[in-house]
Amino acid sequence: MQTIYTLFLLTSLVSLALYKKPLLAQKIGFGCASLISLYAAVFFFSNLDETMLWKLPGSFISLPLFKLDSLGMFFSFLVSFIAFAVSLFSFDYAKFYEKKANLAVFASLFNAFILSMLLVIASDNVFSFMLLWEVMTLLSALLILINDEEGAGKRVMIYLGIAQIGASCLMVALIIMASLAGTFEFSQFEHLDIGMGMSITLFSLLLLGLGSKAGMFPFHVWLPIAYCQCPSNASALMSGVMIKVALFAFIKFSLLLPQVVYFGYILLAIGALSCIFGIIYALISNDYKASIAYSSCENVGIIFLGLGGAFYGLGTDSPMIALMGFIAGFYHILNHAVFKSLLFMLSGNIFTETKTRDMDALGGLHKKMPITSVIFFVAALSICALPPLNGFASEWLIYKTSVIGGMAEGGSSRFFFSLAVIALSITGAMAIMAFSKVYGAIFLGVARDSKSIENAKEVSIARLAPLALLASLCVGFGLFMNDIVGMLTKIVLTIIPQTSAGVAGLISMPLIVAIMLLCSVLPFIFLYFLKANNKEVRVSDPWACGFLYNKNMQIGSNSFTGDVRKALSFLIKHEQEIKLDGYFSKAVYIKKTHDFFWEKLYKPVIELVMNIAEEIGIFQNGRTNLYAGYILIYLCLILIFGYYYL
Amino acid sequence: MDFIYLLIQLVSAIIVAPLFDGISRKLRAKFQSRIGPSIFQTYYDIFKLLKRGRTKSSSTSYVYQIAPYLLFISAAAMFCTLPITYGANSSALAHFSDIFVLLYFGALFRFIFIVAGIDTANPYAGISASREGTIGFYTEEVAVICLIVVMMGTGSTGLPFISSLVQMGEYGYAIPSFAIASTAFLWVMYVETGRKPYDLAEAEQELQEGVLGEFCGKDFAIIDIAILLKQITVLGFFLVVFMPWAGLVDNPILSLVLFLVEVGFLYVMGVFIDNFGPRFTINKGMKRTMLFALAISCTSLVLYIMGI
Repeated sequence: MQTIYTLFLLTSLVSLALYKKPLLAQKIGFGCASLISLYAAVFFFSNLDETMLWKLPGSFISLPLFKLDSLGMFFSFLVSFIAFAVSLFSFDYAKFYEKKANLAVFASLFNAFILSMLLVIASDNVFSFMLLWEVMTLLSALLILINDEEGAGKRVMIYLGIAQIGASCLMVALIIMASLAGTFEFSQFEHLDIGMGMSITLFSLLLLGLGSKAGMFPFHVWLPIAYCQCPSNASALMSGVMIKVALFAFIKFSLLLPQVVYFGYILLAIGALSCIFGIIYALISNDYKASIAYSSCENVGIIFLGLGGAFYGLGTDSPMIALMGFIAGFYHILNHAVFKSLLFMLSGNIFTETKTRDMDALGGLHKKMPITSVIFFVAALSICALPPLNGFASEWLIYKTSVIGGMAEGGSSRFFFSLAVIALSITGAMAIMAFSKVYGAIFLGVARDSKSIENAKEVSIARLAPLALLASLCVGFGLFMNDIVGMLTKIVLTIIPQTSAGVAGLISMPLIVAIMLLCSVLPFIFLYFLKANNKEVRVSDPWACGFLYNKNMQIGSNSFTGDVRKALSFLIKHEQEIKLDGYFSKAVYIKKTHDFFWEKLYKPVIELVMNIAEEIGIFQNGRTNLYAGYILIYLCLILIFGYYYL
Repeated sequence: MDFIYLLIQLVSAIIVAPLFDGISRKLRAKFQSRIGPSIFQTYYDIFKLLKRGRTKSSSTSYVYQIAPYLLFISAAAMFCTLPITYGANSSALAHFSDIFVLLYFGALFRFIFIVAGIDTANPYAGISASREGTIGFYTEEVAVICLIVVMMGTGSTGLPFISSLVQMGEYGYAIPSFAIASTAFLWVMYVETGRKPYDLAEAEQELQEGVLGEFCGKDFAIIDIAILLKQITVLGFFLVVFMPWAGLVDNPILSLVLFLVEVGFLYVMGVFIDNFGPRFTINKGMKRTMLFALAISCTSLVLYIMGI
């Protein structure tokens, strides 16, 4: 494993060193990244059952130990595999940012970012973990800045701000755990002897710290801000795998705590809220990239629903539920990594060709970019969890876990598991609406603003190949559900107390496909025997009730969700402004949708901080003698403090 | 053998479904003091459509072309999940006949319907696509809340297993939460059939037909069958979970016949709501009427959580 880390580091340094020749650096950087990550993916996958250790040579403040167990191997595999597809895609895609940033720096950051994620997964020590965690955050922030445009700085600050809130919670939790365990090594943390209250407190801190990075509700506000600003390959990595690294750390640390049944309840409640709010915002947004970004919040919620079942199972000592919950959670993590990175890369394709992110300006792109469109269709079906694709397989497992969990006697478990099933079903219904809208508005119908797709053409094969690979995995991971569940069972059995429980009663995906095929034959037989009219299809304008057809008559992304927005008006503030200058001039419509939680939760805090910053500004007046005075006061205080307390 | 019965189940439903529609049209005409069409009118309509040529709008792409078949596949696969000719002892199909498989095939139907609607670039198709999604947004949770009571009560998501438990009386109407859930569920399934007052036309014929307005010829015939099949399936879904008495007969063919009679009865009885029901606007109508269904289903869930 150290070879992989070293290779990534070397590639990163080499591409940075070539900053005078950005095009060459870009080729080397992304090309090597794809080769190394392919090797890494194969390596981690073939060593799934092994445990590996690696000590950083040399002497540091603490001795950084890196350790990969089965779970770590699985997540490392996930990171490197998605990194493989994304770096292959970036090989051609990165050229789009030639004028905005130095491509050598881009490639270097990209490699370093992958490396930092792999190291976070492997690190086995509080100090190195926190350090690498912050490095990962900073690198992702720099990747956001690659797409330098107006307001980018502010968006990065919001991202970093939320990341810092999370990191501080995480730091507190880890330090408390370390002091209780008397060591900084995670592998010696086990069997912490703490009460239930302390355990729940630590769990909540971990959830805040790592959940904020994963984009859980109510920290979802950074998702659209950061991902829309990012180049699409970076957002594919961030959404596809960075948030999975946070989830990995969350699972790893929470398993070290004494298990309480409330862990499960907390996760189920947070998961339910995350997925409902995530999908509502995904549904109403008019920017396709924001829509995809918000749906990360939704999917993290769905993963939490699975993990909630798992922690409930651990807390109540029912290994069957724990096993199924973890399998469901990991399965959805795997699937989300595949289809979310796929969707972000597709959005990159759309953006480079049309230069717009507004769905109300797009339409009819299928005719220009047929392959991108078909791949997008598969990804949309997959994210909507429609059978027989992979999203359905994992959501079905989550449903099954919740149903089994809800069977137990006792009101609270029944309540929380019912909540999980209801939330998941509402999410399912709205995801259908959200992604059929995204797909329809971008690729189907007629362009609403014909300028947007004028110069669009299908992207190169180098960009399409990795997308086709991921799309075929969306199908494959669904079809081979039983094999994947078998593989995940082995991994999960290493992290929960040994049981002989197995997963039984799965649905059979091949059978579903077989029956769908059987059904698909019927209409053709029916048409053949009834001698249907097979004459050529005449082409005409769309029917507009006798009026002359105009492309603006089509339904737009905004009006599509009008009825739902009205029904949810208590949650979504929607302002519409109409400017009319004169009777014959064109009316201008401005529509704004406000994020309820941004207005109520974040804005007041930001304003408060800004006000405080303004107030304490009087200390900074540029007079040297005053500054010397500050130092003097500080020294005196320290002396007094030291005299009395040390 | 199971597969042959499954095929018989599917084909017979396709053959009989237009008859139910014909009977209900005739009955509706009688209520309105008209003579009305023959009860075989829906068959004639489909045969006529097969002979007609087709047009399509200039904006359409491959989605429009494959939509009729995908709609048919999802409706037919939905129907196949109903365990009528096979039961819990059928080992193979028990891994297929699952509540969530059925629900998500329904979702697939909805997805294709919306996407095809947007593809035509027809303003009315677009609005009806939006409404299709909105109806899903309103109905899905009510249906699932009712089903939660059943699934958690029986501890399974498999339809054959649930049916057999209800048939044998081990689980059923003696349990209040189950009984209450059944009323809300029937309501939602009626909404899913998309008949009045849930066709949400708001005085425009084009809206009611929606995406269908752009289809014609054999494509339209296939969609017509798919929609009839979906209507039968959602009513059958209610029967299989809450009144699986047709399965008490051992002979698969006989239980299929019984099932079709039951579904036909429910379908034709729908005319009493369809014909006498008022028309609503989508916002007020859905919100007000579905709130009642939601309240009923929540009552049953609360009863379940309390352990009654």
